[in-house]
Amino acid sequence: MDEYHNECIENVVGGDDYNQNLVNKWTSAIVERCLTQLVKLGRQYKFIVTCALMQKTGAGLHTANSCYWDTTMDGSCTVRWESRTMYCVVSVFAVAIV
Amino acid sequence: MSEVRQDKTVKRDKRTSKAPSEGSHVIKGKDTAGKTKDSLSNVSCIDEHHDGTTMAVTLENTYQMGPRKRFPAHAALEILKDVLKSYLQEEKYEVDWSRQMTKTLCEVIRARVKELMIRRYKLVVLVHIGQLAGQSMQISSRCLWDATFDTFATWSFKNSSLYGVASVYAVYYE
Repeated sequence: MDEYHNECIENVVGGDDYNQNLVNKWTSAIVERCLTQLVKLGRQYKFIVTCALMQKTGAGLHTANSCYWDTTMDGSCTVRWESRTMYCVVSVFAVAIV
Repeated sequence: MSEVRQDKTVKRDKRTSKAPSEGSHVIKGKDTAGKTKDSLSNVSCIDEHHDGTTMAVTLENTYQMGPRKRFPAHAALEILKDVLKSYLQEEKYEVDWSRQMTKTLCEVIRARVKELMIRRYKLVVLVHIGQLAGQSMQISSRCLWDATFDTFATWSFKNSSLYGVASVYAVYYE
């Protein structure tokens, strides 16, 4: 699954520099692609996909998540991607239905 | 984006081993001069499935079509506002402190939302704390769930040296 996400990000943002006008489109595109690929897996899960895109200016960023769920069935995955001009963090949370 | 789920004729009740799980990731501010690679990626997973001691649980029907009490997004929003304001109001951004604070905020928010005692809802809490350095940032999320029962709340806070964004997602468990 991690390769899918990586691929998603690369495909959308791959060779581009950070652009304020396009960043909205990029985040939406990344998230939607990830979601469609997760749906194709055909498993009985609800998904939450989050993407944070940040311009590289030397500033720091911390992200944390905390979940209250069934640890035997639910899980999450986070991918950090970096280019010359920006950072991207994509998190996927999968919550079982039954 | 939401997906309409079909009604199931049989509902099940399951004694779940609900337990908190956490993860955190840090992007440190750093000097990018002399970087030869074009892109880098880092992957981490929280995998809790290898616990051999949990026993298989037998399922029972509840015949319940939906939650008795819906998750109050406005109450969650008030909690987020309150927590972010009280913890971040007068603080300055520092690396170690921020790392600790993100995790603390996650736990505090999760505990307070749990206190609302909304049954059969699973929670996911996400907190970002970043330094204000003139950079631009976009955070977006999409969910595939049942829009009639599941909901979320999100709030962002800013002071002179840092910003904090907190989100809580509540997913109904049938």
